[in-house]
Amino acid sequence: MISETKFHPSTELLQEFAAGTLSAGLNIAISAHVEFCELCCHKTSEFEAKAAIDWLQTSEKHSSSDYSDMIAKIVSQPQQNHIEQQDPSLSEIHMLDHSVSLPKVLAKAASNGLVWKKLSGGIKQAQLNIDDETQCEFIYMTPGSQTPAHKHQGSEITLVLDGSFSDELGEYNRSDFIMRTNKDVHQPRSDEGCLCFAVLDSPLTFTKGIARLLNPINNYRFRRSMSQRAV
Amino acid sequence: MTQISMTLDAIALSSYTVKEESLPTPAASTAGHLPIESLNPDSDESLLMKVGDQQCTAAFNILFDRFANRIFAHGMKITRNEQLSKDLVQEAMLIVWQKAPLYDISKGNAQSWIFTLTRNRCFDILRKLKRQPNCVSADDIWSSESGDIDAYGIAENDFIDVEFVQIKKFLIQLPVAQQAVVEQIYLHDKTHEEAAAILEIPLGTLKSRLRLALGKLRQLIGTEND
Repeated sequence: MISETKFHPSTELLQEFAAGTLSAGLNIAISAHVEFCELCCHKTSEFEAKAAIDWLQTSEKHSSSDYSDMIAKIVSQPQQNHIEQQDPSLSEIHMLDHSVSLPKVLAKAASNGLVWKKLSGGIKQAQLNIDDETQCEFIYMTPGSQTPAHKHQGSEITLVLDGSFSDELGEYNRSDFIMRTNKDVHQPRSDEGCLCFAVLDSPLTFTKGIARLLNPINNYRFRRSMSQRAV
Repeated sequence: MTQISMTLDAIALSSYTVKEESLPTPAASTAGHLPIESLNPDSDESLLMKVGDQQCTAAFNILFDRFANRIFAHGMKITRNEQLSKDLVQEAMLIVWQKAPLYDISKGNAQSWIFTLTRNRCFDILRKLKRQPNCVSADDIWSSESGDIDAYGIAENDFIDVEFVQIKKFLIQLPVAQQAVVEQIYLHDKTHEEAAAILEIPLGTLKSRLRLALGKLRQLIGTEND
């Protein structure tokens, strides 16, 4: 897909994406951007190769187990000689007057259907339940809409899927990947209408910001201790 | 860097002879039909191809020895759970076995291939553990698994526009059988079928030699640019 992307994920985010250490919500947003953006696509491949080298250089931790049974079980399995085709899933979102084709990963994530809620200022929102660390949602800004000025308690990533919107810092078009932290106050507006995918720190983790998301395990423990306390 | 120099060592150690001038004769290219003659037979790539081409369990055992502890360590880093990490070893190595026939050396080395599938299985295992919705899996997120790097826009003809003159010095480092294939396809603009007929080799052999040759050339050119 050819587009002139002006805003990309940071190098650190792409490295974490390649290494597999991000939350599912962030992975989805980056994966969708990478499908739009050839540059980030190439970078991801490079970072994967680097991550593999790092992986091989980490000190070995030996497992005490004897693997011979496991090996015997594995080699008794048949091998695959062709790449399995994935089932086609929802690939478009129908907006008021036109349809928007979605990146593969978003089509898959939305394949259970979307429930749109009307928010103030001509904004519609459809949440996706992806993981416990993030809040993922599609945002549709109808033409001429404007959100109230707001600040985020955590971090927010926005990927433009269709149309465009602007705020104090710039104008964003299809494939642009924008990251805002809790320091930024912004007031997005869209003249032509805009469909976005947004990933926010979940309310539970916002105090820790994006750094929290970079460590899914700590998040998991944090979550677990929270839910135990809640019970 | 380590890997590139390892590969170069492997090339230096292997026993083919370099032919400097003149097109290789068809006779030179018909020897053997295994596509792995040019690689160090002990390299991860050779072993993986043996697993894929011949269901070779001995090669799989060696790969298992080399990678199981790495996979286990990755599992421990991400899940901090010994049982889950063992499950990860089993799932990842099962996929190595199952998908070995799909491994394509021209699209990356064996370590990257095994790393990405380990990363992906680990992601899925962790989501299952956290009982997160199964609407997306690792394969949806990282679509290049099973070597489908074309989806990432890196096609075989990436370096075709590099001048052939520049290519030549790399080309002569390839086994003659692979040189012949590259020259027919890229210098003489033959189709795969035509080249196979000219060189009197089966089409499948031609394709695997071409893949190997392109993979090796890419490595050599990459080393040069570093």
